[in-house]
Amino acid sequence: MSYRQVETIGGQFKTTLTGVATDAHGQLYAAGDSEIAVFDTAGRPRRRWAASQPVLSVAVAKDGAVFAGEQRQIEIFDATGKLMRTWRNQKLVGGVTALGFSGDAVLAGDTWYRAIHRFDRDGKFLNTIGKDNPVNGLLIPNGVVDFGVGLNGTIYAANPGKHRVERYAPGGELLGHIGRFDGNDPAGFTGCCNPTNVAIGGAIYTTEKAGPRVKAYDFEGKLLAVIAADIFDPNCKNMDIAVSDAGDGRGRVYVADTVKLAIFVFEPVKV
Amino acid sequence: MSDLTRRDIVRGTVLAVLGGGAGFLVKKANGQIVWQVDASRCINSRLGETGVAACNLCTTECVVALSAVRAVNEHSKCGRCNICPAYFNITSAVNERGYPSEKLCPRDAIARRPIGKVDPEDPANNFYEYVIDETRCDGCGKCAMQCKEPLGLGSITLRVRYDKCVNCNRCSISKACPHNAVVQLPRAQAL
Repeated sequence: MSYRQVETIGGQFKTTLTGVATDAHGQLYAAGDSEIAVFDTAGRPRRRWAASQPVLSVAVAKDGAVFAGEQRQIEIFDATGKLMRTWRNQKLVGGVTALGFSGDAVLAGDTWYRAIHRFDRDGKFLNTIGKDNPVNGLLIPNGVVDFGVGLNGTIYAANPGKHRVERYAPGGELLGHIGRFDGNDPAGFTGCCNPTNVAIGGAIYTTEKAGPRVKAYDFEGKLLAVIAADIFDPNCKNMDIAVSDAGDGRGRVYVADTVKLAIFVFEPVKV
Repeated sequence: MSDLTRRDIVRGTVLAVLGGGAGFLVKKANGQIVWQVDASRCINSRLGETGVAACNLCTTECVVALSAVRAVNEHSKCGRCNICPAYFNITSAVNERGYPSEKLCPRDAIARRPIGKVDPEDPANNFYEYVIDETRCDGCGKCAMQCKEPLGLGSITLRVRYDKCVNCNRCSISKACPHNAVVQLPRAQAL
């Protein structure tokens, strides 16, 4: 299996590009600076709006509500960018560097807790995932908690200090993991702490730092493809990743280069 | 002011320069002016340099045996990683325990031990402290190069140790450093 780069979306952010997400229609949402930008399936800018703080992550709910993760809070916008609600909760202590949805619940990665908090849609805290499992929680020397959610609601969290992607039930039970350290074999994760980011679609997609690369694994942990490696700035890390392979059926993979401040778009090469 | 001649101005300037120089030498003799490595210039620690070999001029050029430069780990910045690229040679073969089979430091000057709440079952669950043995370290810079961003967090940098430095008037490392990373500073401003 191989991928090709089909597009680059650049010039949209001035200082930071922290998060990418897709909605059910295949539209791309990008978080950076203190803004959310929306692009159509061809990568054309459609709209953008300001948040109250620098945005660290973004996710789009099934009903089109756009969740923006910030320091100690989550802002919720409607599809047009109108602020509907701001969540502040005593559980949200650090930066909210990842957001997602599992069933009716909202998931938020908290860098202070080094874990994922689960809330109901009204913002009521339900439980924490990955904190005490088994000892020190998610090991995130990079300062970012990131995860993806499978179609059945299973949570796939990057645990870079352990060179793994860990699989959790919404209730917090650790179900298993894929990944291992290897500084030479591309099937492994190299460096001190990889993968930094993860997304779930028809496969497990991961990004790494030093050197930056994007890979796809099957759910048993077998490497399917090194999607890209050489096009990213060598100094970039915490490259967020989103996929739309359930949305538009083309299996698009979006990766945010945090130094070039560009989103690279990949598609699988049809054989 | 009308009596001020050109000769007076030159004399004043010369005296000021001589006075400043003398003051500098007194401060230097008293240990108030020291040589230090500027981490933002040192190629082993400055950001933006990736894929280059570590520079070891601090080891080879210093007139002091084993060099006056040491690698220093600023623990508050350290990620306490399970697999630290400054400790392990991360491109060496993976052993049966899943770890790199070789250490990086040629003088085995870094010690690794678990800290905090320790999981006895799975060493990958733990945080680790990396302590540099300064009796062994010769400032070769390999660990600093591997620790810097984005591979590491940049907690390890090279520093001149004042108890070892003989404070030469013209530091031989400074002369050799292609990046002018060894500089003289008032001690209060130095690390």
